[in-house]
Amino acid sequence: MPKPLIVLADLVKKFGHAAAVDKVSMSIGQGEVFGFLGANGAGKTTTIRMLCGLTKPSGGSATIDGLDVWRDRFRIRSKFGYVSQKFSLYSDLTVRENLRFFAGAYRQVHINDKVERMVKEMDLEPYRDSRAGKLSGGYRQLLSMACALIHEPALLFLDEPTAGLDPVHRQQIWDFLYQVTQSGTTIFVTTHYMDEAERCTDVGFVQRGRLVAKGSPRQLKQGLGGDLLEVHVEPAMPAVLELRKFPGINAVDLRSGRLRIHAADPQALVDQWQQYWPFPGLKFLGYSWVEPDMEDVFNAYAQGRHSQNQVQAALK
Amino acid sequence: MNLLDSLKAILTIAYKEFVHVWRDRRVLLLILVLPPCFTLLFGHAFEGSAVRDVATMFMDADHTGESQRFADFLHGKNVLDALVEGSDNPDKVRKDIDDLLQNLKDTFTWRKWVGSPKGPIELIQNGVDAAIVIPEGWGQSLQNGKPIAMRAVLDGSDTNTAPAVQALLQQALGIFQLNERYELIKNLPEAVVDLGEQLAPEIQHEFSSSLTPWEFNTDMLYNPKLLFVDYVVPGMVGLILQLVTVTLIASTITREREVGTLSQLLVTPLRQSEIVVGKVLPYLFISMFLIAGTIAIGHLHFGIKIHEPFLLSLVCFLFLLCSLGLGVLISAFSKTQTQAIQFSVFLLLPIILLSGAFAPLSQLPGSIRIFSELFPLTHFCRAFRSVNMYRADFGFIAADLIALAAGAVITCIGAAYLLRTVDD
Repeated sequence: MPKPLIVLADLVKKFGHAAAVDKVSMSIGQGEVFGFLGANGAGKTTTIRMLCGLTKPSGGSATIDGLDVWRDRFRIRSKFGYVSQKFSLYSDLTVRENLRFFAGAYRQVHINDKVERMVKEMDLEPYRDSRAGKLSGGYRQLLSMACALIHEPALLFLDEPTAGLDPVHRQQIWDFLYQVTQSGTTIFVTTHYMDEAERCTDVGFVQRGRLVAKGSPRQLKQGLGGDLLEVHVEPAMPAVLELRKFPGINAVDLRSGRLRIHAADPQALVDQWQQYWPFPGLKFLGYSWVEPDMEDVFNAYAQGRHSQNQVQAALK
Repeated sequence: MNLLDSLKAILTIAYKEFVHVWRDRRVLLLILVLPPCFTLLFGHAFEGSAVRDVATMFMDADHTGESQRFADFLHGKNVLDALVEGSDNPDKVRKDIDDLLQNLKDTFTWRKWVGSPKGPIELIQNGVDAAIVIPEGWGQSLQNGKPIAMRAVLDGSDTNTAPAVQALLQQALGIFQLNERYELIKNLPEAVVDLGEQLAPEIQHEFSSSLTPWEFNTDMLYNPKLLFVDYVVPGMVGLILQLVTVTLIASTITREREVGTLSQLLVTPLRQSEIVVGKVLPYLFISMFLIAGTIAIGHLHFGIKIHEPFLLSLVCFLFLLCSLGLGVLISAFSKTQTQAIQFSVFLLLPIILLSGAFAPLSQLPGSIRIFSELFPLTHFCRAFRSVNMYRADFGFIAADLIALAAGAVITCIGAAYLLRTVDD
């Protein structure tokens, strides 16, 4: 594990009596691309806002590069960039004006050079004098990232940077993120997209304010306990509903026409079905074993079928 | 963090804020067009304070020569020859009478009598504001030596008009009576005059003194022509600027909060105080132009004289700073733009009514007046009028200036403090 840059220790945020973030402890190493996953309202944004010093933790602590995120918030501001969930730039300012403003806000020198370089790097050249509000979603997001990176921070927080974007722009943004990591910048990103979770070097799952799993994508997949059973049954849609009711099956997902089965003992199911197929209306056409992907991992944790203890047990 | 860096940061925000206003054409139009329009509108509305065109119905139920003469006098005819002839200074008396007649003509708009002149008399139902009756037997009563009273019915709900009309009627009747006295003296029989001349000269003089009306010689200071517009323009200018500044700036921080850019600002090394000062600065610049423009209209169009421009500029500057501070405080306090506008409206209402912009503060009870001292507009109006009408110097208005400066500092500090706390 690289040297830890962000360390959370029993971090808590309460709104009234409800805990939005509930005793989260973890550390994120320098140069990592950390993906923070969880359902809406799980506490991802609140965690980021605490780390950015925008809201005061109710308990526990968090440090960035050894500095407390709340007590030393004025000192660490220049060390990170933050791209919030909604588009939060000035719509009535042009691309370059937005960049210039944030360069000024971060007390940069040689502002003109930095702005011009950023415009080039971000492929924003054709829109340099367009109002930010007139840009398409993808370019807006690129501009938001450009504004957050204008002071060349060592750490970048991104709160759902690709939400609502088309695949082309998502690709573009991830390409850019990889480019940013080349210079050693650490990235803390929240996302809903599981294919994006695959791209992270480290992933954390948060559920109802609690961190339920953390590890590299490979570790988390292994934590599911081996390959998953995929059966080929027709017709597929009614089969999903029927199989979900079958004893011993925890969940069924439809993937590319095949049914992916989450069960405690899938081998037993296969043995049983090869002897007797209990669904007269459905045709059993075959089965295979597949490696779980991040979506399987996410579903497993989201449905509470796995816990960090199990993962760690499996890893041992 | 040195001062130069801070200044650069403030200018960065100020420039951005200025661009926002500049690019928002609707707001720009609003702030450039409304203040001058309001100044013209309000200025003309409150130009004079005199009571005019009071719809009055009149009835002479007496039908004597005496009553007819008084009726003619009320309607603007000069019937006071004896007074002019008997005076030592006929030109002055004639002028005084002419002024009074003009005042009567301006004040009353005569309407046809409706209903009975006896018993209760209604005004609103008959579409008038006043009713005057010369009662039956008035002429007779004068000759009997026991004059009966004239009758006037006024609308007391209008606290401005009723006393003015009452005073005018009393004045008219008084001068009419004086004329009758001169008439009487002129027509005294020779024997009485002879008898009078036998009195000691001192008694003769005392007697004639007692027949001459005694009067005050009043010097009107500060506003000799009693032009209400001189009094009201500072209030008006202040009120318009108060309105523009508070509503304009109140939405700036809340807009950023709604859009999410405030979070983006707060993660930069910008200090909360730099953000607040940077936001106030362009609005201060804009509103200084606006106040200069509205005062210029007051000067050029309404003929308001401007004294001590430097001291007045200081008054305007501190007033605007304090008003903007108030707006920024509202802005930092509110969660949404709608809330900010609502707060502004509810705050502006007492400011309009209790700041002495349109009516002197001395009309308010003492306990309320303490409350008035909280409003920047109160201090502005008092300081501006003190300088411009009373030629007051710096020392005289120092208390108001200090109050405005303190208000500006306190509100800005409060806003800077509240900038982030509202979030949680």
